[in-house]
Amino acid sequence: MSENILSKEQLLLDLLKKKFIINESSIKRAKRVEVKVDPKEIIPVLLYAKENSRYISFAHMSCVDWIEDGEFEVVYILWNPEDKINFFVKTRVSRDNGVLPNIDFIWRQANTYEREIREMFGIQFEGLIGRQEFILEDWEHMPPMRRDFDTAEFVKKTYFNRPGREDAKDVREFVQERTDEELPDFAKKYSRD
Amino acid sequence: MYNDKESQKIVDIIQNYARKHSLFILAYGTGCGAIEIPPTMTSRYDAERFGIRGSATPRQADVLLITGYLATKSLKRVIKVYEQMQDPKYVIGFGSCTINGGMYWDSYNTINVLDKYLPVDVYINGCMPRPEAVIAGFVKLQKLIQQGKADGWDIYKKNIDEYKANQKKIITNWVMPDFNF
Repeated sequence: MSENILSKEQLLLDLLKKKFIINESSIKRAKRVEVKVDPKEIIPVLLYAKENSRYISFAHMSCVDWIEDGEFEVVYILWNPEDKINFFVKTRVSRDNGVLPNIDFIWRQANTYEREIREMFGIQFEGLIGRQEFILEDWEHMPPMRRDFDTAEFVKKTYFNRPGREDAKDVREFVQERTDEELPDFAKKYSRD
Repeated sequence: MYNDKESQKIVDIIQNYARKHSLFILAYGTGCGAIEIPPTMTSRYDAERFGIRGSATPRQADVLLITGYLATKSLKRVIKVYEQMQDPKYVIGFGSCTINGGMYWDSYNTINVLDKYLPVDVYINGCMPRPEAVIAGFVKLQKLIQQGKADGWDIYKKNIDEYKANQKKIITNWVMPDFNF
């Protein structure tokens, strides 16, 4: 039984590898397939998954800020309701002026995710239609979900603070004190003290 | 004869007594705290026995509840709503987010101290305050009204420049008309 289920995932990967340039691919566990591709391969891979492999449902689209590599990773999550398999397509763009293809002609709801990512991270999508302002109102600073945006500093500057909360600490430092874990070097760079 | 201090006192007592027993709260929820209002209003806790009930529009309301975190985007709407309400009007800060920011104290988009932007009469502590705490807050407000101490609306008028300066510091694109009496 499990062999049968696994083979479906392997089948998808084999088909994709034959047709497209796949940088990296893996079956994370049963019913969870992951591929990493270049931005220019995004539309062909997604279209193929939708039309030929029945990954008809666009579940989610999110963004990860890899500030150490100077890159954003955008993750497209598809869902096959017949085989119950999750399909993750990951791609990376440069942190400064990265541009990705627009996929809202494949799934219309992708438009909303793309607008959110554009506002929160500053990634541009080619030919994306929609108001520039999405959730934030009159925002004139750096996109707030980027990791180099210092929220604590911004809050100190912008809002009032009631006395008595000065000892509020960074979560990472708090965890470090409790568990005696070493902070990784990249985390120290963005530490608040 | 009618304007002397003693008779004014008696009028105030009657007025305050009437006000404290008919608190209409505006059906407007910001943040997560609005979820505690339905149980407070319905049969389990039944806030109407204190004379507290909902109202549909700002013009008819006496109490503005700020239930939980207040994003800068909704602060703009809250100010608009507050200035539409008729005197006397009261503000209740609900939950720890309105007091000192709560768990959103370092969020880029939520205010931390509510009483810098609106005059708050009563704060209810908790995250979230349960309906008992909400009713306790209302009872406290009723006591203040009876004593004539719930005069946030008067303080707002007197310190309007200070409040406006604080509000405009956050709301950069101010498209509303300024408050006039």
